[in-house]
Amino acid sequence: MQSQLDSALKEAADAAGQIRTRAELEALKARLVGPNGSLTLVMRGMATLSKEERPAAGKMVNAAKAQLDEILATVSARVEQAELAALLGPTIDPSLASPDVASGSLHPLTRTRERILATFRKLGFVIAEGPEVETEWHCFDALNTPADHPARDMQDTFYLPKSFRSIDALRKGDEDLLLRTHTSSVQVRTMLSRKPPLRIVAPGRCFRRDAVDATHSANFHQVEGLWVDRHVTLADLRGVLDFFVKETFGPEAETRLRPSFFPFTEPSFEMDIRSPNLGRLSDRWLEVLGCGLVDPKVLESCGLDATEWSGLAFGLGLERIAMLVHGIDDIRHFYANDLRFLRQFA
Amino acid sequence: MRVSFQSLERHVDLSGVTPTQVSELLPMLGLEVDSVTTFGLQPIEHVVVGEIRSFEKHPKADRLNVCQVDTGDGVLRQIVCGAKNFKANDRVPVALPGAILPGNFEIKSSKLRDVDSHGMLCSATELGLPAGEDGLLILTARAPALGTPIHKLFPSPDVVLEVAVTANRGDCLGLRGVAREIAASLGRPLKPLEARAPSGTTDKPSSKDAFGFVKSSSKTCPYYTLRTLRDVKVGPSPDWMRRDLEAAGLRAVNNVVDITNWVMLQTGQPLHAFDAAKVKGGIEVRSARVGETLTLLDGRVLTLDANTCVIADEAHPLVLAGVMGGAESGVAATTTDVLLESAWFVPGEVRRVARQFALATDSSQRFARDVDPAGVDLAARLAADLLIEHAGARVVGPAVVVGKAPRSDRTIKLPNGFVAAKLGTPAPEEHVSAVLRRIGFTVHATNTGLEVTVPSFRSDVDRPIDLVEEYIRVHGTAQVPVGRPLAPLPGEEESPAASFVHEVTLRLAGAGFSECYHYSLCDVAEVTRVLDEKSSAQLALQNPLTADQTYLRASLIPGLARALQLNLSVHAEPRQLFEVGAVFRPMSDGQVRECVSIGFVVLTEAPRRSWKTREPFDLFAAKRLLTGIATAAGIANTRLTWSDVSGGLWQEGHAATLADRGRAAEGACGLLDLRWTRTLDIRGSVIAGEILLPRATFASARKSARFEAFSSFPPVTRDIALVVPTTTGAGDVAERLRQAAAKAVGKEIDVEAVTCFDVFAGEGLAPNTRSLAFEITLRHSTRTLNDVEVTAALDQVAAAAAKAGWTVRR
Repeated sequence: MQSQLDSALKEAADAAGQIRTRAELEALKARLVGPNGSLTLVMRGMATLSKEERPAAGKMVNAAKAQLDEILATVSARVEQAELAALLGPTIDPSLASPDVASGSLHPLTRTRERILATFRKLGFVIAEGPEVETEWHCFDALNTPADHPARDMQDTFYLPKSFRSIDALRKGDEDLLLRTHTSSVQVRTMLSRKPPLRIVAPGRCFRRDAVDATHSANFHQVEGLWVDRHVTLADLRGVLDFFVKETFGPEAETRLRPSFFPFTEPSFEMDIRSPNLGRLSDRWLEVLGCGLVDPKVLESCGLDATEWSGLAFGLGLERIAMLVHGIDDIRHFYANDLRFLRQFA
Repeated sequence: MRVSFQSLERHVDLSGVTPTQVSELLPMLGLEVDSVTTFGLQPIEHVVVGEIRSFEKHPKADRLNVCQVDTGDGVLRQIVCGAKNFKANDRVPVALPGAILPGNFEIKSSKLRDVDSHGMLCSATELGLPAGEDGLLILTARAPALGTPIHKLFPSPDVVLEVAVTANRGDCLGLRGVAREIAASLGRPLKPLEARAPSGTTDKPSSKDAFGFVKSSSKTCPYYTLRTLRDVKVGPSPDWMRRDLEAAGLRAVNNVVDITNWVMLQTGQPLHAFDAAKVKGGIEVRSARVGETLTLLDGRVLTLDANTCVIADEAHPLVLAGVMGGAESGVAATTTDVLLESAWFVPGEVRRVARQFALATDSSQRFARDVDPAGVDLAARLAADLLIEHAGARVVGPAVVVGKAPRSDRTIKLPNGFVAAKLGTPAPEEHVSAVLRRIGFTVHATNTGLEVTVPSFRSDVDRPIDLVEEYIRVHGTAQVPVGRPLAPLPGEEESPAASFVHEVTLRLAGAGFSECYHYSLCDVAEVTRVLDEKSSAQLALQNPLTADQTYLRASLIPGLARALQLNLSVHAEPRQLFEVGAVFRPMSDGQVRECVSIGFVVLTEAPRRSWKTREPFDLFAAKRLLTGIATAAGIANTRLTWSDVSGGLWQEGHAATLADRGRAAEGACGLLDLRWTRTLDIRGSVIAGEILLPRATFASARKSARFEAFSSFPPVTRDIALVVPTTTGAGDVAERLRQAAAKAVGKEIDVEAVTCFDVFAGEGLAPNTRSLAFEITLRHSTRTLNDVEVTAALDQVAAAAAKAGWTVRR
């Protein structure tokens, strides 16, 4: 009996090395432990043994069976490994570049805009918007800009023909439609449609009839801010804008309010900044935005009682801020759409 | 305006103050300084006037001359010189050995190509003067004595500030206005400015000797004065006056003209001098008659219209009012009698006329910013004083005055506490008074507040809030404290369109698209590629600046296609680009709608080879992006209808439009017209997509989604194949099947999906037909479906398909 077991084990051991596929493995199993397998026959033969012989024979058979299981398990593992390898194909080279389309990118003006908006959101400002084709009243009259003001001249502002009708900017009487010269018009729309207290920022595209060069563009972007409440002061103006400057240009940036003139604010200022982190423009005063307290005439134009309500407003150029933050020297880059430029700000 | 430091000192004591300090102080008062330059001759030792007695060619250098120069010390100096613009006996600046010229250039005796040279003959630039003609600075005409130190011939060094004056500060277009600001800031008094000549008091000439007749019929000129001066001797003006004019960038002409200009520089009031002999009859301020012409001082001939105000005599216009004088009636060398005009013109009118004729003059610039009406008389009297002193003039009687000053001093009531309330910091009334007095305001304190009298030269200060600006401007904006941070206001809604744009932008960038920004204005070729001619014409600007920016854009796709072209040409390997922005579309009723547009383009073939190729981006990938964007805008997928599109931007048979009629959203996607993209030098094909969302899309607040319970039982799927005409859309067929299935199964059973999984045309099918296979998924809400009811439902679906004329293949 031992010899029968030995020969079965030997058969298994001899065959194991040759086996490559699951079918061959199954065939070997059948030859050994199938209904007519050699080990099966030995075990069947045990029935003929005497009661005394059986325990020893049982031990022998169990030992042989354990050895056999071990052999088959090894083969099975190898076969499974081979099967997976066939399924997976060759191994990968992780150093190869992805064949997919390169990552996308956000335009630097979008990034700058979102960063600025995030700053003002922290201060409780919400975004408001208005149309790019605007009425003269919203763009100029309501903002205390007299009819003979140079900004309203055909040489400086794009107008639309009288035949143009816009459903987004309804014309009153004989007034003209134009491409808005600032997003300050959104101040007016907001004050007319909502009750104070108000705190809004209005990002958007604006137009001036300028020849294109390194610092001028036929269209450009502004973020306008407006806060209307009771008792808004110059100290509030400074608080809001200093916060913006420090968020945008870093805590080292200094600010100053330089008196200036805009029809829609009184007093009016330009805000200058000075920062050690602006490359070639470091450590000198640079103009970044215009601001002031909302002129009482503007509040009255929008139906607010200027003795009850007061406000502050500011307007900054996205291009200007992006150029300072990123050290860009020519405004035309923003509209040329050369990917070698755009990808730098991805 | 050019502000010379020395000229400023005529109005305010600047001892101990440097030009740099002034240039730093002015901006903080609201007067921006654009540039700081020097004027005059900086001190140089050892440069004297010399005369070139003779010269001959350098023996070894064609371009050089060897000059014999007399500098008045009894010896002839030999100096080698490279200039060509001189002749013998010309007097020129000579830098002697030991002189140090600007740029730290020391002059020594030396040899030039073996010839001794003892000094250098100088050009204007070498002395640090403004560049004149090429070559040496020829002084012959001024006949200076030999050996005169050169700085005696030129004004002493000065610093000139180019000051940008804002539209509200006409008073600072005179030196006195700028000086007043500086004086206020430094806490020093202004030097007095007084005239001796009498004020105008009459509306008729006072004596027979005075000039006849003045009248005004123009609304542009509410206040006009004219003085008569006789026995004028026209000649050069004094050196100090010439110096001041040149420092201010004006050219000296003759004493009469120079005096009017000099007074203008000081006071900001433009003056005009007529040659009385050339004025016929009287002076009339009136509107021009249509077709009248006027030859200006600069020789230009203007054809006038009725909107132009002129100063005329009885025959014709002499002066374009407030802008420029005529050639004919101006003061010349032969003039003996002068009429001196000083007037006030309506600022907007002067600005309009100056613009109309493209004439920006020193005069129009000042009148357009509103000159001081009280200065009209003072300026004329100052000029009369100077004409008496420097041109021997005799003033005949008081001035003739027509009309009156349109504005005078006015008083503003400034309530107690008003300034502090606007500043957000205390501002004691006594301090406010003191500060306002420094800029020439008169302040009277009452129990309730201050009564502030603003002089007429400040046209811009009318209200209490204007006084707040004056106070903080002069007191210093650094005194404004930094307010405390804010808390948000509750319940304020962000603009939904802005939130949407932000989300979509991030989504597309995340999907591998690079964001572009193109101009909103385009040329005719671009707009007509998108719209028909009639619609295109509706988007034209009234006053375009350049031919390539004449129309509002109707689509983002042309710009993006150009960006592909550009990036291909520079080998920047473009692949997927997008843009978000406003575009404009005319509607059937003729109104134009401004839409938020999201557009993208994809180059289907990679510009560079890769070790592994990917499935190219196709129309259906574009469609998936667009439906995703529509969903983000609150437009459910099921609201969109898709149909074929051809022409314009799109390639026939390979592009589709989408529309949501309810909300007027529209869009398209697919292959761009191949012939067009080829003209852009784009090899291969471009898949694009664009969706246009009217502003109204975002008008209503987005509703929060409501939860719906779903079934916990398994779905059952069945297939059905149909032969349908090629022209019938698979999407339409799917919708018909879905409706039929829904009708067949009733409310308890949900038709979860009807999806097309096979499209086949060709062998075994009739021409112009194709086979479409659909998988229909059903699920019961409360139990497992059984085979019998599913088969029954499918039979009804098949019957509906057959009824529609489609052959069912089962």
